[in-house]
Amino acid sequence: MIRNIFATTTAAIALLALSSGAQAQYQCARKGGDLVFGQEAKANSLDQHTSSTISTRNVAMNMYESLMTRDENFSPIPELAESVTESPDRLSYTFKLRQGIKFHNGKTMTSDDVMASFDRYMKVGIDRSIFSIVAKYEAPDASTFKMTLKQPQPTFIENLSSFSVPVVIVPREIADAPAMQMPVIGTGPFQLVEFVADSSVKMKRFDGYVPDARYKDIDGFGGYKVACVDTVTVKFVVEPGARVAGLETGELHAIEDLPTKSQERLKTNKNIVFKPLKNFWVQIAIPNLSLPPTDNLKVRQAVMAVLDMDEIMDAASDGAYALNVGLQYPGQAFYTDVGKETYNQKNPAKAKQLLAEGGYKGEKITLLTNRDYPSMYNAAVVMAEQLKAVGMNAELKVIDWPASVQMQEKDDKAWNFFFTGYGTNTALGGVAAMRFHAPPFNTYRPKNNEPDADFVAAFNDITNGVTLADRQKAFVRAQARFMDQVLGVPFGSLTKVQAVRSNVDGFRPFRIPRFSNVSITN
Amino acid sequence: MGRYALKRLVQAVPILFLVSLISFGIMQLIPGDPAIIIGGPNATPAELDLIRKNLGLDQPFHVQLWIYYSNLAQGDLGRSLLLGKPVLDSTLERLTPSVTISLYSLVITLFFGILFGVVAALRQNSWVDQVVSVIALIGVSLPNFWFGLMMMVLFSVHLGWLPTGGYVPMFDDFWGWFRSATMPAVSLALLQIGLLARITRSTMIEVLRQDYVRTARAKGLSEWMVIGKHAMANVAIPVVTVIGLIFSVLISGSVVIETIFSVPGIGSLLGNAILRRDYPMIQGGLLFVASALLVLNILVDLTYALFDPRVRYDGGR
Repeated sequence: MIRNIFATTTAAIALLALSSGAQAQYQCARKGGDLVFGQEAKANSLDQHTSSTISTRNVAMNMYESLMTRDENFSPIPELAESVTESPDRLSYTFKLRQGIKFHNGKTMTSDDVMASFDRYMKVGIDRSIFSIVAKYEAPDASTFKMTLKQPQPTFIENLSSFSVPVVIVPREIADAPAMQMPVIGTGPFQLVEFVADSSVKMKRFDGYVPDARYKDIDGFGGYKVACVDTVTVKFVVEPGARVAGLETGELHAIEDLPTKSQERLKTNKNIVFKPLKNFWVQIAIPNLSLPPTDNLKVRQAVMAVLDMDEIMDAASDGAYALNVGLQYPGQAFYTDVGKETYNQKNPAKAKQLLAEGGYKGEKITLLTNRDYPSMYNAAVVMAEQLKAVGMNAELKVIDWPASVQMQEKDDKAWNFFFTGYGTNTALGGVAAMRFHAPPFNTYRPKNNEPDADFVAAFNDITNGVTLADRQKAFVRAQARFMDQVLGVPFGSLTKVQAVRSNVDGFRPFRIPRFSNVSITN
Repeated sequence: MGRYALKRLVQAVPILFLVSLISFGIMQLIPGDPAIIIGGPNATPAELDLIRKNLGLDQPFHVQLWIYYSNLAQGDLGRSLLLGKPVLDSTLERLTPSVTISLYSLVITLFFGILFGVVAALRQNSWVDQVVSVIALIGVSLPNFWFGLMMMVLFSVHLGWLPTGGYVPMFDDFWGWFRSATMPAVSLALLQIGLLARITRSTMIEVLRQDYVRTARAKGLSEWMVIGKHAMANVAIPVVTVIGLIFSVLISGSVVIETIFSVPGIGSLLGNAILRRDYPMIQGGLLFVASALLVLNILVDLTYALFDPRVRYDGGR
């Protein structure tokens, strides 16, 4: 029997529509105006197939849409797909497309455009490895797109709907553009007016946009979207002080990443409203299992024993954090606190005992960090002091971010802990959260590149478990192994505070600034 | 003079060749990989290899160098890896903000730097001299990013006179340009005012001790004529040299000031290119800036003749 894998979702939407009765679809508080947003990082490209940066996605995903995307809780939902059916052998997925969808160039979207978009993604798309399981894809008719897998993969739809580097649908005419050079023509509620790389982006309302009437309101990256403002100007304002000043003067209507120190001062400012985005990323350090002394499990466990995560996260986040065990957040489908006994122990005596048991003799422990991301640098500084307090010979190695990533990848003799943050991947769910510790990534540099067998077995079960319950059980096993073997040192979750002027209505914090369903009231 | 200028331009070619070779070589030596930036954290090693192949970064050093110079010979500075645009186009786009703000900053620097320097020299060792010295010292010592942020708090947040950042093209809206360019220009000028004031002061003190100044005074010329005509003409040459250096610094852009005030100029372009290991952008941008500075230096040398009749570029006396 062919099953509509969104039967539950669509039924829920229908029920919501019935039960809410008089509740109408989203209405703008006011139409018109130019919404000016201050973004903290510069975008150098709007080619969503070939850029994995958050700064690109922040802007581009207001102009592009995909067959499937993620809702407010990061579960897969249809966007340009009207329906998706899975064959009984779980080898093929048939997508019926929504009708009457227009591109920004006025052309009506058909399955031919979907084919062309996937063709391009398979050539240059950054996350194309998720499609290595695909045997073929075809367009049986103008409104149908079908993908056939080499073997069943229960998490295929989860992967397809990933917003990390999404397969946005573009018209065939531009789908042969080289990497980083694709013109911005999508189906989203806003269309591009001007892009000055590294400086600003201007977008305007796309009058031909067809809102998704299956929903009542915006929902994650999808849902019922309306462009309330005439135009949106995204300015790249890297300096935090300048962003805050712009918000105070009203030159900027909304900004991302309001520094904690400024929050104290702005608390009493009635013109400014804070929009905290909890669980923005997991602050983490990855050990190097190929280099002494972190190749020694006792030493790694000693590190876990001594760390005071409150102190580290306080420094890393300026106080905007939550303690969090593991790589998922409470409320997510895969969340588990297994391994909590190893987290935030603050136990120097136990650490010293473990060091003695492990035969630690004062070998250097190099913490590889960078100043580009202050949270990583600050976490490393505090961790180094905590390690020194129990006699570990901790030393910081501070270089810039690209160099530190390369050093982590290529030089396993140069570092013992690599500092990073898991943002998008933790939000995407169980598989993505653990993937950096399984082949082919193995960021913890196992000896002879032979990964931890128990962890890999659990990871494979997260990927291939038939039901969600199977996959959740596998995730518990994976996290237990991860914490026990100290394959990573997750410090906690970081909160990112966005802020808007009080005359901005409808702005809800999310992993991208969503400009749909947002109004300027006066 | 034409022959001299041509000779200098020819001499600039090996310098530019060296600049291009050094910038190309340094890019190969420093750690960091543009494929990592483009591929992002989720890229597999195989995908990173593919990106490197697509960009030609998998080629040996000598092959990449050959391709680079072959393109350069055709006037092609390459294509930015991350912007996806030709380096020359990207650089020219950013030139106008940097040049207009630099010129504005230079005007401020010249006015206050020379004024302070001359006044301090004329009132040597008086309280006026002390005040000017303190101002110059502050200008040299204060970090310009801090000064920029303080101006932003005062003039944007509290007084609401000037925008916090951004850039308005001069020819689209002059008043808008003036408002957006003032704080970056003043921030950039602060350090240079200090330097120029100190050099003008010491040069002027030296000139005022010369016989021709004493002679000018002895023949009854007004102090205005003595200073404005005879002394200033002789102060001009070292000052013009310093102005050339100051403009070189300004035109090559200030990463910090352009970042704070969100100005899309050369400085922020090159700064970002370095942070992201955008090799063609760095190489092309450096070559462009080096060429501009060489031309500027030649122009400065040529202007000496305007201020000092003894200077001849045609082989005559």
